Amino acid sequence: MEKGKSLLQKYQIPISNLDFGYVEKCENAREMEKIVMILRSGEEGYFPDLTRCAEDKLKKLKPDSKLFRTEEKIQQSNVLAKHELKPIYDWTNEIKNKDNVLSELKEEDTVPSLDIPPVRKTTKIDIDKDETETSKNKPAPKASAKPQPKSTNEQRIKSTDYSKWDKYDPDEEILRMDLEQEREKEQAQIKLKNIIKTKKEDQMEISEESTEQQRLNAQIAKLSQVEREQYAEKFRLRGNEYFKAKEYDNAVREYSRAITFDPAQAARSYNNRAISYLKLNNYLLAIKDCEACLRLEPDNVKALLRLADANYSQGYRRESYGIYQRVLELEPNNISAKKSLEQLRQQVGELAPAHATRMVIEELPSDTTPTTKKPAAPKPATAKPATPKPATPSPATVEPVKLPKDYDLAELVKPNRVIKSKIATAAEALGGTLKGSNSIANAQKQQMQHMMQKVASAQGQLRLPQSPCSGSTNNKLLIQEL
Amino acid sequence: MDKPQMIEHLHESVAYTVYDTKWIPLSAKFVVLGSKPNSHGILDIYELNEDKLKKVKSVEKKAAFKCGTFGASSLRNRHMAIGDFEGRLQVLDLERPEMAVYNVKGHTGIINCIDAIGGTQLECGAPEIVTGGRDGAVKVWDIRQGQEPVVDISPPSQMGDGVNRSNLRRDCWALAFGNTYNAEERLIAAGYDNGDLKLFDLRAMGVRWEATIRNGICGLEFDRRDIPMNKLAVTTLEGGLLVYDMRTQHPTKGFSYVEERNAGRSVGSNGVITGPKATVWTVRHVPQNRDVFLTGSGTGSIRLWKYEYPDRRVFQDADGNKEGVAGKLHMVSAVTLSSQPVHSFDWHPDKLGLAVAGAFDQSVRVLITTKLNTL
Repeated sequence: MEKGKSLLQKYQIPISNLDFGYVEKCENAREMEKIVMILRSGEEGYFPDLTRCAEDKLKKLKPDSKLFRTEEKIQQSNVLAKHELKPIYDWTNEIKNKDNVLSELKEEDTVPSLDIPPVRKTTKIDIDKDETETSKNKPAPKASAKPQPKSTNEQRIKSTDYSKWDKYDPDEEILRMDLEQEREKEQAQIKLKNIIKTKKEDQMEISEESTEQQRLNAQIAKLSQVEREQYAEKFRLRGNEYFKAKEYDNAVREYSRAITFDPAQAARSYNNRAISYLKLNNYLLAIKDCEACLRLEPDNVKALLRLADANYSQGYRRESYGIYQRVLELEPNNISAKKSLEQLRQQVGELAPAHATRMVIEELPSDTTPTTKKPAAPKPATAKPATPKPATPSPATVEPVKLPKDYDLAELVKPNRVIKSKIATAAEALGGTLKGSNSIANAQKQQMQHMMQKVASAQGQLRLPQSPCSGSTNNKLLIQEL
Repeated sequence: MDKPQMIEHLHESVAYTVYDTKWIPLSAKFVVLGSKPNSHGILDIYELNEDKLKKVKSVEKKAAFKCGTFGASSLRNRHMAIGDFEGRLQVLDLERPEMAVYNVKGHTGIINCIDAIGGTQLECGAPEIVTGGRDGAVKVWDIRQGQEPVVDISPPSQMGDGVNRSNLRRDCWALAFGNTYNAEERLIAAGYDNGDLKLFDLRAMGVRWEATIRNGICGLEFDRRDIPMNKLAVTTLEGGLLVYDMRTQHPTKGFSYVEERNAGRSVGSNGVITGPKATVWTVRHVPQNRDVFLTGSGTGSIRLWKYEYPDRRVFQDADGNKEGVAGKLHMVSAVTLSSQPVHSFDWHPDKLGLAVAGAFDQSVRVLITTKLNTL
């Protein structure tokens, strides 16, 4: 630019700053950039060590500085290994097949089968800046343009024309200018509003999803397989872009289109739609999509992980647990599955097999021996919330039996997740034994007694067995006793 | 190396000036358009065959070819629309190139730029071709309608005083369709030699927005044509690269943008910017990732950029108007491809990372960009 001026002068940096000590201390990234530029230019001499030192410092201060951009010579394809080039060769052959199919299609029908929108009505847009630009706004600027020359005339009062200066009111002038400005602004806003309005109308039209679906289907019917694949791929990619931009609604729409176009190879689209639904916190739909994906690709680890995630978020922890285990079967070293399993274990403990029922025992309500029991019973219940599963079948069997109001076992026993079939069979079995003992009242009495006995004798040690195996023997005992 | 790397896969020297290179959709073939020394137009079709290129077809016509596009043709016919040095727009069936499917004399001078849309997009309006010429006109064509453009965006006719007003005739250098997300909406962005950037709304039939940039506009592209407009990349003489956020239009300030001043220069191997300010000739977004694009510059280098969105793309100013927030540009990599300007570039629409580039050193190159999916 300015010839004869060195970079040092241009940037106004004292030469004393080109020094190790200063470079060490300097914390100003902009200044550091200038120093590096001066050093690199070689105008002040060649100092390789200082340059390197300054560059290192700049890297610390501003790692993304433009000065670190480098350009390389283009490399030939021999830098790529054979296996890296192979996908391209494979793709070339594959695309050639598609190409041939399309060429044949072209020979087949010369009439375009797709409905093409009608030709636009012939129009003209004038772009002459002063006259016709934004033709719609034309009347408005004219209206506002009229006072303008007036005001400019008025402002041009000769300095010697005192009589006119006497009449000049600066406040009025200022007000007028303000009003004009406001009017211009309004015009601009009106213009923008119109645009936005038309946009909104369009969105309304788009929202008629079902008709769009119909039209899509009609068009799909006219397309060949190659074309369908092509469209599906395009929609999927567009979905990916929306996903990256965190516009999950749009992503879901694009993926759905991709699926309708090529349902046979929609595994990836299903999978991606699932993650979009996950992001939208729509877990049930996410589960559905993962399952659809798994139907097409049963061993898709990503889909499994997403399915587990969705199940977990929906509250289906057991399913989630099972799926994570499945992932580990497929990929024993999958880190995220391991982590999630670990977390699940921490939350719910080692999960029992699926047919077990987990129940939370809260506290014994009013009873004949409430005062004596209370301190004993709830304690273990709260201390070990995860283990009591094996012990629970006994309350479960009790539940279906009608009890006197003063002793409500339904409150005592709160199934967290009830597996119905299990209870039903248990109840049936119980019913059988009850029939054997004839009267229901009798059974109730027995039960009450039995419960009392149990509680009284256990007092903490038997009530909630510490190990599952001892619990199971207990259960057996209980049922036998009944 | 975990960042994308651009590699020259194949190189083909030709005996003419290359003006445009385009992949034929869904094929391993590309078209090279150019001008022979005797100023005849030439169209060559090359096919990719593992590690070599095979010339499949060569067509010669009277006028030199300037630019071409497949945007308005369906996957079945894949006709190419071509603009030439005599202002003629022709649509050729590449199987039978001797007879043009459509042929019209659209402009009085060279057709500088062409873009087309509606061929493969569904529910996105009629297939249309737009051409911009040295005569300053922008014309939209529908090949189903005879010899008249469907939309004519011309500067006012010069009545007799052509000498005095000749400087008002701007040269249209760049064009791009955009915002075509349904059957009605459609926009054209046009760039002129004086730095004027205009946005024509084909639905409202008017100028939606205009701005003037410091230098003449050489390249324009919306990141996607067929979505509500998102970003517009603009390249200029003297190395300007601007990316506009097109989501939000402020009533007075228009669209906000991020600018790169020296995108055309060679950055050199040690980061020292040397040489004169060089034009950025072209900008092309990756078809599989709209936030990554490539620019070809006058020093023969190409650069790969990534646009990073800001945390919030819109904010409200004091008057309650919405204003867009531009993101950041991050240069991913740069390579020197040629000693002459790289002015045409085309990503393969169906294969990530595959591209063809044309430079003024009379050669075309097939490039492979690795690890684009990591961006």
